[in-house]
Amino acid sequence: MVGAIALLFVCQLAGEILHRLTGLPLPGAVIGMMLLVGWLALVRRERPTLEAVSGWLTAHLSIMFVPAAVGLIEEGEALKDYGLALVLAVTVSTLLTMVVTVLVFRLALRWSKPDEEAEA
Amino acid sequence: MSGLLSTQIFWLAVTLVVFEAADTISRRSNRHPLAHPVLWATPVLIGLLLLTETRYDTYYSATYPLSFLLGPAVVGLAVPIWARRALIRRLALPILLALLAGAVTAIVSAVGIMWLFGAPADILASVAPRATTTPVAMDVATQLGGVPALAAVIVLFAGVIGAMTATPLFNLMKIRDYRARGFAVGVSSHGFGAARAFQVDQTAGAFASLGMALNAVATSTLLSLLALLF
Repeated sequence: MVGAIALLFVCQLAGEILHRLTGLPLPGAVIGMMLLVGWLALVRRERPTLEAVSGWLTAHLSIMFVPAAVGLIEEGEALKDYGLALVLAVTVSTLLTMVVTVLVFRLALRWSKPDEEAEA
Repeated sequence: MSGLLSTQIFWLAVTLVVFEAADTISRRSNRHPLAHPVLWATPVLIGLLLLTETRYDTYYSATYPLSFLLGPAVVGLAVPIWARRALIRRLALPILLALLAGAVTAIVSAVGIMWLFGAPADILASVAPRATTTPVAMDVATQLGGVPALAAVIVLFAGVIGAMTATPLFNLMKIRDYRARGFAVGVSSHGFGAARAFQVDQTAGAFASLGMALNAVATSTLLSLLALLF
């Protein structure tokens, strides 16, 4: 258990170090995720505890966003002037991005792998 | 007694109880999109902060253990991605093309609409990374001269919208491929979309995690390049 948690923490720490050393515009955790993919590729074995720990974390992602969401309380000024525009812009942009992404994915799939398209 | 309101355990306990209540309602409604727990827990907690005259700084540091978990959770997304490596390798081309199209659409549409409303540069910079995960958005917004806290709120709103609308939207579009559905919601609505995707289907969840991770890379790279140009 501790081993799996340590692996996650060490990857994040290494990501943080790389972020600071190289000035990469990615946060430590995202670099850490890429490092963990690399580690899993390098040292191949069954990892049931790592799967359990990371599965537990991903199952509870929503609550981890709550403290940041409550930060809404501080944004009165910007929201008073541009709140409605922001709601509209973000809603349209989110829906449009999903539509474009899903359509390009399907189109590229149909174009590159016609057989696979049929079974999906 | 008043000192109790600034203790870590008070706000952690309150946040967990409020979230669990919201989550129970969400489960009872069969995860109806409008019953997303964050959507209901957030205003209740804001109300409690206002009622007790607690500063946001105090609340944020008290509940930091929750925010902290986001880091290891993001690192842990490597596990479902690695488990589906063969599938991902086979679909490399659709993944890359959809990623590029999605990243550009998210930036241009969000910034473009705010620009039409005459929003100042700091708001445009805060809305530009709206499709990335919260820590990335806050970093990128700061780099571009935006407001990190505003960026966080915008990102969360994009997450809630994506999590709420993805299932009805893709059903309406008659798209049944969980790889495409998951990837699109991850690109557009980051970890929030991924959390929702994992509830629907494990493959959708893995592709959403991949979309989120890749878009964190794509959006921050695109915006950093843009910042260098101007």
